[in-house]
Amino acid sequence: MTGNSGNIDGKQAGPKVFEPVWAIALNTFRETVRDRILYALILFAAIVTVLGIVLGSLSVGQDIRILKDIGLAAISFIGGIIAVFAGTNLVYKEVERRTIYLIFTKPVSGWQFVLGKYIGLCLCVAVMVAAMGAFLIFVITAASGSAGFAEQLRQMGQELALIYLELLFVTALATFFSTFSTPVMSVLFTLAIWLAGHLGDSLIELGKLTQNPVISQFLSVIFYCLPDFAGLTRIRGHLLYGTVPGIEVLTYLVTYVFAYVLMLLVLAAIVTERKEYT
Amino acid sequence: MADVVIQATNLSKELTSSLLRRKVRILSGLNLKVARGETFGLIGPNGAGKTTSIKLMLGLMRPTEGAAEILGMPAGDKKALAQLGYLPENPYFYSHLTGREFLDFAGQLFGIEKKERSERAQELTKLVGLTEAADTQMRKYSKGMLQRLGIAQSLINRPQLIFWDEPMSGLDPIGRKDVRQILFHLKEKGTTIFFNSHLLPDVNEVCDRVGVMNRGQLIVQEDVKNISQGGSYKDLEDFFLEVIAKAEAGAEARS
Repeated sequence: MTGNSGNIDGKQAGPKVFEPVWAIALNTFRETVRDRILYALILFAAIVTVLGIVLGSLSVGQDIRILKDIGLAAISFIGGIIAVFAGTNLVYKEVERRTIYLIFTKPVSGWQFVLGKYIGLCLCVAVMVAAMGAFLIFVITAASGSAGFAEQLRQMGQELALIYLELLFVTALATFFSTFSTPVMSVLFTLAIWLAGHLGDSLIELGKLTQNPVISQFLSVIFYCLPDFAGLTRIRGHLLYGTVPGIEVLTYLVTYVFAYVLMLLVLAAIVTERKEYT
Repeated sequence: MADVVIQATNLSKELTSSLLRRKVRILSGLNLKVARGETFGLIGPNGAGKTTSIKLMLGLMRPTEGAAEILGMPAGDKKALAQLGYLPENPYFYSHLTGREFLDFAGQLFGIEKKERSERAQELTKLVGLTEAADTQMRKYSKGMLQRLGIAQSLINRPQLIFWDEPMSGLDPIGRKDVRQILFHLKEKGTTIFFNSHLLPDVNEVCDRVGVMNRGQLIVQEDVKNISQGGSYKDLEDFFLEVIAKAEAGAEARS
């Protein structure tokens, strides 16, 4: 039995480097999907969407718009809840349950672990958003009777993609905090930054109102450090009213989100690598 | 000693208590060498520093002083980790996975090909007596079954060296006998074995050499043959109790 390991010299050339990443991602995905809480959230989405139909029927001529608004808000909210609560437990739970011993006594680096956990949760969030989005589009198609499923998918696909982009961001924040903080504190930190990121514009306005250059400068620095969730919401607003932003805006947005996510994951990997598992 | 695969030199660890910020020394100056193919048992009372020693050798913890080398590489080196197997004390696994899925996961972490992983999972579940439960979720496993699965995952990469922390824990007499047989099988194949245990008859039966730890110090190392054949001690338990009693008396006299 001796001397015939799969990767005997510990070198991980080419695609082998991503083998542990994929294993950890798949395990995280399985764990989150097999968690029954997700089914409750899908049920919640269905209830909210049905509520949208009821509300829509009460408002003459605006039923589809209200249904879309409520449905997308529900998807964003539920996706966010999954990202925050599952994300903040990601690394912490591995340490608490001591399953981390089994990972880091194998040839796995901190970055492979963090990236695997992140990708696994992002896959899970993607499935959830896709499932809820498909359900919403189905309900809208049935309610409107005019445009077919494919047409509704074309119209709402970009909004769903933007919601997912924001959730990638939130998942990265939650993952980062889970590497060094308890789940309760991580939830608080993530929610605080998520909320503050949505209020970014208000910080600049507040700075102007104070008329104090030092405070104004300080608030500007915070504005630029915080993730720009408000920007994402603005673009979703444009999409809702049928205005498609230019390719340069979308390119900027995607680059911005991925750069921020990369920075958070690098920091999370550094923390994980430096940590001791007593 | 020819071909040393585990070497600890003045390995020491201090932890800082979170409340009073007081430093507590949990391991002091561990010097140890284990040769290729040897079976070494580390024994000692609870809190003696056995698990800490293993964690330092595996790179899960960093030493305050000293160093450990595994297969000629620094502790925690990925090349060394690729060639060893580890069973933690009271192992916790992913309860949502089946035994087979977990072994596949462990194999993937080593970069083993899918077909090979599947064959090894089959072979190892048979070795540890879990063939029938291989497709059952681990949340339904008993403590003994988890221990068996832990042993199986520690062998998935066909390691040259294994570190087992309390491998007999949670096992019934039949399970203990099975683990002893696995240990003999690994010994025959030339695997170097390092394990901690409280079950001295098992240590006596399996090990070539033992080290006794007390209060964070390795106080004695001895060949098992010398203990049983030297005539001074009835058995390993007798040796262990006397060594610990002497160490405790010495510690009390110093304090």
